[in-house]
Amino acid sequence: MDDLKQAILDFAESSKKTKFYFKDIQNAAQKVYPDANKRDIKKAATALVNEEKLVYFSTGSTTMYGLKGRGQTEDY
Amino acid sequence: MAFEPKEVQKELKYEELRIYSDEELNNYTEEELKDFKIKHDIPMCEDLESGPWPSFVADAKREALHRRKLADDRMLIERDVVEDLLGQLELSFEHGETHWKHGGIVGVFGYGGGVIGRYSDLQDQFPSIAHFHTMRVNQPASKFYTSDYLRSICDLWEYRGSGMMNMHGSTGDIIFLGTFTEQLEPIFFELGHKLQQDLGGSGSNLRTPSCCIGKARCEWSCIDTQDMCYELTHYYQDELHRPAFPYKFKFKFDGCPNCCVASIARADMSYIGTWRDEIRIDHEAVRAYMGGEIAPNGGAHAGKDWGKFDVQKEVIDLCPTKCMGMEDGKLVIDNKECTRCMHCINVMPRALRPGTDTGVSILFGAKAPILEGAQMSLLTIPFIKCDPPYDNIKENVIEPIWDWWMEEGKNRERLGELIQRQGIKKLLEVLNIPPMPQMVREPRSNPYIFWKKEDVPGDWDRDINDYRSRHKR
Ligand code: SF4
Ligand code: SF4
Repeated sequence: MDDLKQAILDFAESSKKTKFYFKDIQNAAQKVYPDANKRDIKKAATALVNEEKLVYFSTGSTTMYGLKGRGQTEDY
Repeated sequence: MAFEPKEVQKELKYEELRIYSDEELNNYTEEELKDFKIKHDIPMCEDLESGPWPSFVADAKREALHRRKLADDRMLIERDVVEDLLGQLELSFEHGETHWKHGGIVGVFGYGGGVIGRYSDLQDQFPSIAHFHTMRVNQPASKFYTSDYLRSICDLWEYRGSGMMNMHGSTGDIIFLGTFTEQLEPIFFELGHKLQQDLGGSGSNLRTPSCCIGKARCEWSCIDTQDMCYELTHYYQDELHRPAFPYKFKFKFDGCPNCCVASIARADMSYIGTWRDEIRIDHEAVRAYMGGEIAPNGGAHAGKDWGKFDVQKEVIDLCPTKCMGMEDGKLVIDNKECTRCMHCINVMPRALRPGTDTGVSILFGAKAPILEGAQMSLLTIPFIKCDPPYDNIKENVIEPIWDWWMEEGKNRERLGELIQRQGIKKLLEVLNIPPMPQMVREPRSNPYIFWKKEDVPGDWDRDINDYRSRHKR
């Protein structure tokens, strides 16, 4: 779990983009840990949200994940 | 395994939950309303009030007057929120473009859905709608609620939001329209801890499931739509609140093919109650319809004289599969040809009833037009038994479909689009079911059939290297 969380954070920090689809996170995590399954990756992403390292970004129709403090902030 | 609630559902009592007194709730007269002007000029909005239908502008003005007359400490967001909303709408009409900024990082802690961020781009002009976030409240199954419940949520929303709501959004949610970021957590707390009420879905989540009134009031319901909606809503809480899908995903439950929640047109996965035995016929009652003793269609067309009821013209000839007829003055149905369209049952409800061996048909992939145009869902599982806790459906249908779509679906690709892209053959492989005649929508127009080795009795041998030695690419 901690490994997966780290892989997600590494990806989020190194990416040029500030928002990611879950799929981008999944692909990035599976690049490091090819056997990781979706459910565990989702759990790791949820844990990062609960630790306030990642945030959800929603347009209403789609949801993306972002690194807290990067890109658009709450009161734009 | 069925969902087990952590606490029992309480009966909500408005008297214990209310925020406003009767005087505060009824704080203006119709006379005052007639003379009331909001603080912006809104001639185009007011023009909407002159149409034949009740207008949201008229409702919004009532709410604006109501807020003007509440005491300052009886509202936690700006008093003028409704007036500014109408003011900005007027300006949007004038400019021909919206002044909302849509989306953002707002929500309640731990949830990736249920709150949709919205901000005005004219915050100096309309400060009380600088934030105007929408909250989706997961409606009770079949939208049955008590007036105590409704009055309690109305009070909460008046106090901490704009007081305006939309009953109901297209997914069925009760929609709270407009509040500030700092009110989101307190509202969520009140909803969850006092009203035992959850938020609904939004974004790339399972959206709030919705169902028809089902067995609660409808004699045609072949399944307990409310139970199934409740069970799947709770069982798939994580999918509802924590986004990991490529895009939105909707479940809708109809108790019979009349499809009152239009699951066939509006859900990625439509559940439609059906039966696999025979339509029950009461021959006495058929004769009573023919003799004019019982009004057809439950009397629904009684407002105009359509002439004497003609069972041949109005029922038998309109059967889409022509599987009905009269033999020796008795109505007969060739049930294996019946498509369960409900027409004959709707016309003569006291004579004909759905069978008793009931279950659901499951269809996939309906959606609104974004890519490839709108489409209805595709009949994929003609019949499956449907009893609580629905493990057969959870394990053999829902979860394999989600696994496939999460693996193969592109970002923002609906299930229906994935089925179009990878083909029905692939869908059947995922579900591990054989093709069936009920799935055929039209005679086939594609002459190519690709067989797999295991499909062909006797198999075949082919050495590709041997073949290539004689045939260059
Ligand atoms: S869909 Fe069928 S069962 Fe449900 S309310 Fe409509 S008629 Fe009744
Ligand atoms: S339900 Fe529809 S298809 Fe079946 S017998 Fe009645 S009219 Fe015909």
